Amino acid sequence: MEIEYPELNLLLQKFRANPYKIYPVFTPHTGYIKEFKVKEGDLVKGPTGKWLEKPGSPLFILEREKNTKIIRAQISGIVQNLKMEFLNKFVEAESCVLEIKHQLSQEEIISEILLSALYIIKAPETARYVLSPSLALKLEKEGIGKVKVKTGDELLIMTFMKRETPIYLSQEGDFVIYRLYFTPFQLIQKDQPLIGLCLEEKLPYLEKIVKKIKKEWPSS
Amino acid sequence: MKERVLIANRGEIALRVIEACKELGIDYVAVYTKEDEESLHVKLAEKKYRISDYKDMNDLLAVADEAKCTAIHPGYGFLSEDYRFARRVVKRERPLIFIGPSWEAIRDLGNKLFLKKLAKELNIPVIPGTTQPIFNEIEAELKAEELYETLNFQGNYNYSLMVKAAAGGGGMGIAEVRNLDELRPVFRKIRAYAKRFFGDEGVIIEAKIPYIQHVEVQILGSKHNEYVHFGTRNCTIQSLSKQKRIEIAPGFLYDRGEYGFDIKKIENEIINYSLKLAKYFKYDNVGTWEWLITPEGKYFLMEVNTRIQVENEVSAKISYVNNKQINLIKEQIRVAFGEKLTYSQQDIKFKGTSIELRLVAEDTKRGFIPLSGTITKFFWTPKPWLSVRTHVPQDKFYNIPTQFDPNLALAIIYGDSFESAKKRALEFLEDVKIEGTTSNGERLITNIEFLKEKINWLYKFIPA
Repeated sequence: MEIEYPELNLLLQKFRANPYKIYPVFTPHTGYIKEFKVKEGDLVKGPTGKWLEKPGSPLFILEREKNTKIIRAQISGIVQNLKMEFLNKFVEAESCVLEIKHQLSQEEIISEILLSALYIIKAPETARYVLSPSLALKLEKEGIGKVKVKTGDELLIMTFMKRETPIYLSQEGDFVIYRLYFTPFQLIQKDQPLIGLCLEEKLPYLEKIVKKIKKEWPSS
Repeated sequence: MKERVLIANRGEIALRVIEACKELGIDYVAVYTKEDEESLHVKLAEKKYRISDYKDMNDLLAVADEAKCTAIHPGYGFLSEDYRFARRVVKRERPLIFIGPSWEAIRDLGNKLFLKKLAKELNIPVIPGTTQPIFNEIEAELKAEELYETLNFQGNYNYSLMVKAAAGGGGMGIAEVRNLDELRPVFRKIRAYAKRFFGDEGVIIEAKIPYIQHVEVQILGSKHNEYVHFGTRNCTIQSLSKQKRIEIAPGFLYDRGEYGFDIKKIENEIINYSLKLAKYFKYDNVGTWEWLITPEGKYFLMEVNTRIQVENEVSAKISYVNNKQINLIKEQIRVAFGEKLTYSQQDIKFKGTSIELRLVAEDTKRGFIPLSGTITKFFWTPKPWLSVRTHVPQDKFYNIPTQFDPNLALAIIYGDSFESAKKRALEFLEDVKIEGTTSNGERLITNIEFLKEKINWLYKFIPA
C-alpha cells in the first residue's frame, strides 16, 4: 500500500471542494426556440427509467418546418447560463442553449476517478466494437477485475463498413481488465472510452480509494 | 430579386458549385455537419449554417428559409436522387427552385422497371428480361425458359441469366444462373434476401451479357424544350461494387479498328435514343443515360442518372461552344432558373481526349474495402494539362472521416489524342504521392497501382 498517486488524491480533493459537473444542453437540429420551460436556477430532473414515467423535465420547445419538439433534461441538476437571447430566434444544430449543473453521486465520482486512474483504451474511430472471442470467453468464466492481459494481446475487434480490424494492446506492462464501457455492436463515437485497464501493482491502491469514496459520500 | 443558392452537399461538389455561383454572380449559402467543421467548402463560404445531417430535409429547408434562399443545389449523392425531397422543395408554402430535373423525372426514370417498360414502348433496346416483378416460382421458371431460349437462339454464344431483387441496387441481391436446373433454389434465395433487405419480394430475371463496355451519354435539356448532348463517356473500369474508377471522354476510340462494328453509327444511335427519351419526358436539366455495349455492337439502355455526375468535368473538358469550354454545373444552374440555352447542337464542338482518375483510399487486393486514417502527405506536380479536384488540404494532416466515401481526389487529365492523354495519366500516377497511416497503424494504401494497371485496359471489352 506504499505506492502513492498524488494526482488521484488531488482529484479527490477537487471533488470534495466542488462535487459538481456541468452538462451543456445542445439543440439536436436547426429551428426556432419557441418557449423556455425553465428559468435560471430551476431544478430539473433527468429520466430515472421508471415505469410510465415521462423522461426528464421539459427544458425548451424547438420548432422546425411546423413540427415542434420538446427538448428534455437528460440529467438532473440546476439550470444555469440560460441564453434568453435565443428566444424566437433561429438556432443552428448543436448550439449550446443552457447548462445543467449536476451534483455527482457516489457512483459517478468513482467512475470519474477511474477514468483518470485507469489506462483507457479509446475508440480510434466511429465504429462498432466487440471483445475478441477468446477474451470474451475468459471474462465470462472469471469475471471482471480478474482477467489479465499483456502487451500485444488482441483486445477488441472493430467492425464498420464491411471492415473487421483487430485492436491490440500497445502499452507496456501487465494489466487487469477493470471496466467495460460499451455494449457489443453498439455504434461508438470516436475517442469514447471502450475498456479501462489497471496495472497489476496499482490494483490494491485503486480498491482502497474506491472504498474510501464509498465511506465518504452518501450513496444515492 | 437576386437569386441565392443553398448548397446541400459537401466535399468536391460543394466547391464546384461555389465556383460556378461566383462566376454566375449568384449568392450562395453552405451547410456543414460537425465532421466537416475544418473542410474547405466551409472556409470558402461567407454564409454557412451548421446542420445535423446532410440527409436531413427539414434542416435543409429550415436553413433555406432562414437564409432567404431561392434555390437548392443537391449535388450528387445524399438527396440528389430522392424524388420526395425534390417534390417537397417545389411544393411547399414558400416554394424553392430545385436545381435538377423535375421530381416526376427523378421518380420515374430512377425506377428501373418503369424505365424498362417505357423504353420498350419507345423501341429503345434494354437488357432482355422480365418487365414485371415475379413473386412465384413456377412463373419464374416459365419466364426464364422463354428468355433462355430466345437469347441462345439469337446470339452466337451462350448467355446465362441473372436473378435480381427488383428493389435492389448497388450489386446487392444478384445471383447468376448458368443452368436452368439451378433456377428454383436461386430464385428462392434471392426472394428471401429481397424480402429481408428491401422489404419487397419482387424478383426480376435478366440476361447476363458476358463482355461489355460501359458508355454513357451526357444530356442537357432546358425548360424551353431545347435538348443537346455533350458526347459520350467510357466508364468501363469500375471497382468490385460497381463504383466507377476511370472515366474517359469521348466514349469511343475513333482512330483504332479494334471494334467489330461501325463506331460512328453505334454512337449516333445511342445518342439519338437518349435524346428521344429525354424529349418524351420533357427532361429539363443535366442527366446521364448509361448504356452497355457488347463486342458485336449490340447496345442496351441500363439506367438513367437524374443528377449531375462526379465525372461531369471530363465531358466539359472536351466540349467547346464558340471556342469556349463549357461548364456543366453553370449550365445546370442557368437552366434551372428558366434561362434558354443560347446555343444549339451544331455550336458544340468536341476536341481532344480527357481522362478522370478517382484516387480512393481502399484496399484493391482485398475486395476494395474502404480505409480510413490520417493523410500526412499529399503531393503532385502541377501541370498545364492537369487539374486535381480535392478537398484534402496539402499543407496539413487530414483525417479521412468514416461517415462518408473515402474519395480523396479527382484528377482530370487532358490530351490532344487518346495516346497523349494516356501517357500523361501514367505520368501523373508516377508522380502523385499519398502517404499516411490507417487508423490501425498500418501504411495507408490507395488505388494508384490499380489505376496504373487498368489504364492500359481502357477501350477493351471486360467481363461484366
